[in-house]
Amino acid sequence: MIEFSRVTKYYDQEIVLKDITISIDKAEMVFLAGPSGAGKTTLLKLIYCAERPDEGKIVVAGWDVRTLKQRTIPFLRRNLGVVFQDFRLLKNKTVFDNIALALRIHDMHPAEIKEDVYEVLEDVKLAHKAQTYPPHLSGGEQQRVVIARAMVAKPTVLLADEPTGNLDSDTSFNIMNLFRDINTRGTTVMIATHNEGLFQGSGSRVIHLKENEIDMETVG
Amino acid sequence: MKIFFYYFQSAFKNIWREKWINLLTILSISIGLLILCAFALLSLNMDSVLRHWSKGFGIVVYLDEAISKQEEKDIENQFLNDPDIIKVNYISKEQALIDVRDTLGTDAVILDNIKENPLPSSFEIKLKNDLLNASYVKDKSSELRKMKSISEVQYGEQWLSSLNTISETMMTGAAILGFAIFIAVTFITYSTIKIFFYRRKDEVETLKLLGATKSFIRVPFLVEGLFIGVMGGILSSLTVFSAHSFATLRIAEFMPSIRSSLAILPYSAYIAIPVAGALMSLIGSYIAVGKIRY
Repeated sequence: MIEFSRVTKYYDQEIVLKDITISIDKAEMVFLAGPSGAGKTTLLKLIYCAERPDEGKIVVAGWDVRTLKQRTIPFLRRNLGVVFQDFRLLKNKTVFDNIALALRIHDMHPAEIKEDVYEVLEDVKLAHKAQTYPPHLSGGEQQRVVIARAMVAKPTVLLADEPTGNLDSDTSFNIMNLFRDINTRGTTVMIATHNEGLFQGSGSRVIHLKENEIDMETVG
Repeated sequence: MKIFFYYFQSAFKNIWREKWINLLTILSISIGLLILCAFALLSLNMDSVLRHWSKGFGIVVYLDEAISKQEEKDIENQFLNDPDIIKVNYISKEQALIDVRDTLGTDAVILDNIKENPLPSSFEIKLKNDLLNASYVKDKSSELRKMKSISEVQYGEQWLSSLNTISETMMTGAAILGFAIFIAVTFITYSTIKIFFYRRKDEVETLKLLGATKSFIRVPFLVEGLFIGVMGGILSSLTVFSAHSFATLRIAEFMPSIRSSLAILPYSAYIAIPVAGALMSLIGSYIAVGKIRY
């Protein structure tokens, strides 16, 4: 589903990812671990094409990211659900509208949008907050809205960047359960985190990044 | 179709959210278009006056003293067959003298001592209206002067030249003003949409990351620009129409004779103004949104 082949990325001459080779299968759940600055976010950005590799090849869901044309990028992104570290929720739109946005770009019928949004809100247990605006939600609730938005269009790959970064342990546990549910439905899930507690005992593959390159692979 | 519903819904929500800036922009655009309409009306009326004056313009062709009746007839036929000439009027020596006497009135006694009529016979010719420009008339006069049995050709050279200058100045002024208004309206919309675009930068970035196409991001801004331009145009059209209706009513009351000669904007102009506003605003909005890069 995701193939990195000898990928290197520089920011202004400075190397941020060095010679990365990864292969992630369909419906696999993978953790990307490492300290801040190890290159986890950059690696995710390379997958959803917010950055392009300087060397090497990346194939995501059959799309060659390095040679992808500007006009084709939206269509790659529609196959991916992304849980951003900074949430990227629109403050002036309700929870419903924030999630619906991911479906509106698919030109779906409003009735279908409503049905799908409420279905995913039930999954993250936030149906009662549908008409609430993000600033009135707690951090955990906002994170669940972001996950709902990422999964509403039923993507083949779900990427999460530090999804429990600012959350307490109980909320983090619930969020991780959500990811496991999504994964059991057949979605490939890749979670970038510096929190070892998230993957310990998970039985999932963990790719450790250290000083901008792969240090080792373990099983959590 | 669903996507068009979204475009309009999104655009109108934003228009309502930013209603005060939009209102100011609409007013600015309508003032710009209003200035253009006022100048167009002024030009139309000036043109109407110039056309009225041009109707009296003629070239007088004086014939040689020794010309025979047959030669006069030949020249007249030549004029009548010329496609540039719409009217030919022959004035005999005798008629010329009568005209001078009429013009002089009581002073005509000074002519009593003249034994022989010194005035030549002549033709007064009128050219087509669209040919009444200084250079053409000058060329035509030179051409006539070269004809056999013609002693002199006269026309109001200075007068025609002034008339042409006024007309050309009005045309140039209209073109410059039209261009200036085009730039102004485009820039006003550009600034407004640019502000909206920056205010919604987070939304644009999120849409890009969610997989929105460029048109999905761009179209609501274009719809907003289009709406602003159309509303500015409609406001301008309504103001011109009301002002014109009011003015003609007042003029009919005080100076009924002038009313018929007043030039008015054609009804199609009232549609063309909002269309022009829409086009200018659309261009401004398109430039404001700029290139969207992922």
